[in-house]
Amino acid sequence: MRRETQNILLLLLGGALCKIAWNGSYLRYVKPSVLPFLVSAGMVILALGLISIGRDVLTGRDAADQHDHAGRSPWLLVLPVLAIFLVAPPALGADTVARSARTLAPHQPSVRFPALPAGPAPALPMSDFVTRAVWDDAGSVNGRQVRLVGFIVHGGNTTYLGRLVISCCAADATPVKVRLEGRTGLAYLPQDGWYEVRGQVVPGSARSNTRFTPTLTVSDLHQIPTPHEPYEY
Amino acid sequence: MAAPTTEQPAGSDASSARWRRITSLEVLCAVLVLALLAQGALIQILDIPAVRTGATVFVAVCVQAMPFLVLGVLVSGLIAAFVSPLALRRVLPATSAAAVPVAGLAGMALPGCECASVPVSRRLMQQGVPPAAALAFLLAAPAVNPVVLVATAVAFPGEPRMVAARFLGSMSTALVMGWLWARFGRPEWIAQRALRHPQRPLGQRLPGQRLPGQRLPGHSAWVVFTDTARHDLVSSGGFLVLGGLTAAALNVLVPASWMASLTGQALLGIPVMALLAVVLALCSEADAFVAASLSGVPLLPRLVFLVVGPAVDVKLIALQAGAFGRGFASRFAPMTFVVAIGCAVLAGVLVLGGLQ
Repeated sequence: MRRETQNILLLLLGGALCKIAWNGSYLRYVKPSVLPFLVSAGMVILALGLISIGRDVLTGRDAADQHDHAGRSPWLLVLPVLAIFLVAPPALGADTVARSARTLAPHQPSVRFPALPAGPAPALPMSDFVTRAVWDDAGSVNGRQVRLVGFIVHGGNTTYLGRLVISCCAADATPVKVRLEGRTGLAYLPQDGWYEVRGQVVPGSARSNTRFTPTLTVSDLHQIPTPHEPYEY
Repeated sequence: MAAPTTEQPAGSDASSARWRRITSLEVLCAVLVLALLAQGALIQILDIPAVRTGATVFVAVCVQAMPFLVLGVLVSGLIAAFVSPLALRRVLPATSAAAVPVAGLAGMALPGCECASVPVSRRLMQQGVPPAAALAFLLAAPAVNPVVLVATAVAFPGEPRMVAARFLGSMSTALVMGWLWARFGRPEWIAQRALRHPQRPLGQRLPGQRLPGQRLPGHSAWVVFTDTARHDLVSSGGFLVLGGLTAAALNVLVPASWMASLTGQALLGIPVMALLAVVLALCSEADAFVAASLSGVPLLPRLVFLVVGPAVDVKLIALQAGAFGRGFASRFAPMTFVVAIGCAVLAGVLVLGGLQ
């Protein structure tokens, strides 16, 4: 590949990183704290491309003898550029939750659970809710209405509310899910549609025989737009 | 109508022939235009859930690794421009075997993941560091740097021994592989292009070298720095993308029931978790959290996962094949895999107290 083509590719690649950082879609792929590194990397890649182009133009280097012996591998850099600019893959969703047969209990926290926030129906992260339902012997979620935000996952004859927890990037996503019950028409909710669900846990439903998936008796639910931060951290 | 062509001087034939030849720039433009035209079709293909999941994982791996790769190529450029081979030779012990532990400890100073250490260790080789020492650095840097150790401590709050075991396992993997290379490694296994010193081929192309009087002395170091970083970024970036593609495909294809079958299985867990570390290609700063989330799996297989992952995974194999050649990667990666499992099990037995 010629040197000038490589420089153009670098501009495209740096531009792609800056673009997802600018419009916030980087949150589909990595956790929020990566942002400064992402912006710096995009800027450095842009700068390396620009410096190289500028130097070639200023010195009037002949394009014909600019073969860089990097082989054909740089062509692969076109793929992430095209993926980001043209396709912009969405955040992981129901397919990942359905694919994962992870039957292990969530990690047992080493500290005691704090009391739920006050109010009639506090909003809880899905991962917090599931961990409490599995491990909290004091039963802090029993008998309380809570609000959860997630997407719909249909599996077998059951409808779940799912969410993905990431620790670095979407490649390490761990699913959490809650079985929805107590309303008709749950089976007709759109797969991957985002909902805020209000309901109450069925005590003792998150045991090994249910693969540590608690059941939520739904009292109310409504569709919401895809949240800015699609993952929990 | 034929008049203009006959009027052209004979000398321009060569240049017009060159203009007519298709260059990579035109190919790139054609690819971009075609992709733009086919955007609708592309999006339709990606509407299959499994393909969409793979595409997201692919972009995620690339986006997450790119900052580390950029850090690596900047360090590589700095070494090429400002650290003379002579200075490195003075710092390192004279024999390869003695240089290996020094290089392994030096790995603690590069706070990145494995994508950063490949270009740096190749640059070290080009600057005259013995390959055995550079390889020890390659294996140690992503696994024992402070960021990774702190992440491990955070991920395993109830198990401080995990940090010590990970350090011991990864460091001994790096040292054993370094010494094995010093004893049995052959220079011809590493592709010649990997060992070529950057300043000479670059210098031939640099106008600053042709007209020495026109540039300040500091200017040429800056030129070497930016040109080396740019070249390393372009060449290893492609291989990072290849690794990301493989990791995304395996992420979708590997059955999740693998994980589920491991609850309480220590002996079966060791090879399965080692293979998982290779195919998942997680960043070494994130793998501890994934290992911690597999709370049903005993600690020892999870330690194997943490030691094997930063030393050998599909993304790293692609990067190594790009930097040092396929002949190198096909020998080094399987050997590292075996050594890493052995070191991890040994460290686990010593620090964690056996199979638990």
